[in-house]
Amino acid sequence: MAGPKGESAISRALNAAWIRPFLFLIFIVVAWDLAIRIFKIPAYQIPAPADVVAVLWSDWPELLQQAWPTTYATLCGFLLSALFGIPIAMLIAGSKTVESYIYPLLVFSQSVPKVAIAPLFVVWFGFGIIPKVIAAFLLGFFPVVVSAVQGFKSVDLDMVDLARAMQGSRFQVFCAVNLPHAMPAIFSGLKVSVTLAVVGAVVGEFVGSNSGIGYVMQRSIGTFDLPTMFAALVILALLGVILFWVVDRIEKLVIPWHVSQREDVIFAS
Amino acid sequence: MRSILAIGAALIWTALSVAPAAAADKVVLMLNWYVYGEHAPFYYGKAKGIYAAEGIDLEIQEGRGSAATTQAVAAKTADFGYVDVPTMMRAAVKGAPVIATGVLLQTSPMSVMGFADKNIRKPEDIRGKTVAITPADSMTQIWPLFLKKTGLKESDFHTVAGDGQTKLNAVINGQADLLLGYVMDQSMKIKDATAKDVYPIKFADYGINMVSSGLIANTDYVKTHEDIVRRFMSATTKAVEAAEKDPKAAAQSILDANPKGGKIDTLTQGFELTIPLYRTAETKDKRPFQVTDQNMADSVNLMVEYGGLDAKAKDNPKAFYTNDYLPKGNS
Repeated sequence: MAGPKGESAISRALNAAWIRPFLFLIFIVVAWDLAIRIFKIPAYQIPAPADVVAVLWSDWPELLQQAWPTTYATLCGFLLSALFGIPIAMLIAGSKTVESYIYPLLVFSQSVPKVAIAPLFVVWFGFGIIPKVIAAFLLGFFPVVVSAVQGFKSVDLDMVDLARAMQGSRFQVFCAVNLPHAMPAIFSGLKVSVTLAVVGAVVGEFVGSNSGIGYVMQRSIGTFDLPTMFAALVILALLGVILFWVVDRIEKLVIPWHVSQREDVIFAS
Repeated sequence: MRSILAIGAALIWTALSVAPAAAADKVVLMLNWYVYGEHAPFYYGKAKGIYAAEGIDLEIQEGRGSAATTQAVAAKTADFGYVDVPTMMRAAVKGAPVIATGVLLQTSPMSVMGFADKNIRKPEDIRGKTVAITPADSMTQIWPLFLKKTGLKESDFHTVAGDGQTKLNAVINGQADLLLGYVMDQSMKIKDATAKDVYPIKFADYGINMVSSGLIANTDYVKTHEDIVRRFMSATTKAVEAAEKDPKAAAQSILDANPKGGKIDTLTQGFELTIPLYRTAETKDKRPFQVTDQNMADSVNLMVEYGGLDAKAKDNPKAFYTNDYLPKGNS
């Protein structure tokens, strides 16, 4: 009656969820450093990883302080995308008339480059946080709507009929059947949207701002301070990763029953 | 069949051998920014065939800031760059292989400007106003020196930051009273948009003696293409001299090449504002580009003290520029 072989401590450690990307990251940093040494890439073109780490280490307080305005704008923009995106998707999925009027225009507007119209936001709304929030919102809006429409449209009609047959009101049926069925698609859209909202906030900062990571990047480009610029990029990437992870956790809480949330099950013999 | 091929090959061979012996050399010049009045000589030289006469087929590309253009020249994506030389010094001191082959603006065009009807004529008038800047661009890095020379402090006025377009919008729409810019660039763009005059307070009037725009090239390119560099500098010198004599035609050549490049009156006015900056008192009888060693040394010292340039730049200011490729003669 042999049971499954016990895993050694090392292979258990290697299988922990966060170790693998971390190892891969270390691999990339080593490869980056080697590439600079082998190809003799000059410091003003690509900074060495050691310099970037040095900046992260020494400027940590300022970078953290500058990360807050960017995070705040990202979150506000993202929440607006979710708040407006999901109801609009419900309308589009629910009514062919609404869909035929609105959806094509939405797709059309998506191709408008936000970086070109961002200066207009500063003209209309001033130099505060609003243009950044709007830029983040505009970038994050489309993925939410598209995924949510997909989710709402893929509801199993037999289940809806069954619920209606059991004398469920439209609202009860919506809450019990349509919404839960659409949730997996909505969350996938939210995950994409949150990383795009970071980009939007930075675009807003490039165009008009005295603070934020985008401002740090703009400043360091002008003074050829590439280590700081790359350090800012690292911070932005981390911000995206953390926000993505938060949305992922919320997804686990809201739809624990979905097939994508199942852990690998090991069967005992 | 074979004889037809042989005759065909012979004909092509003959045609090629009587073709012009030397095709023009292709040269790419990247400007410091989108086109404005200051760039007229390049377009004029191309239109008048001055570059072609030296065997150069010139392609002019608009740039996105002196920093970006300097990087492009360092990476050999462009053969020559027309950039703010102090900005180039910043990159050179960090190891970028760039050198100025000719410094054109020997007096700085940097200024703080606003609508003329706001009556902001002297530095003291800046107190209490709102100034629009672009973080870390060439003017913003010298701004603290201007404040020092005029006795102002950052707390005396309000600052807003944005990119180039945002700065213009801010002044046009009243969100800011002033912006930092070149006397011949933003002032003309604002005039195009609003038909109102702009008054620039020039940094040079307050003791900031610094060179500005010039032509730069990659040091490797200069070594391997010495002949092209000489011909290019000779052609550009002639182009500048020709443009000085006929500013309106020079400005028109910008529009001929780039119909959306601006309006003829403001481009002409912009170029006319640029011409006085070509020379200082010491070089007033000389041809363009012949910057004095003293002027360059002063600029380096200023940059080290106030512009954040690494102090080791002072050890060898001559490393940043060379007049060796300029045409000889003083006609």
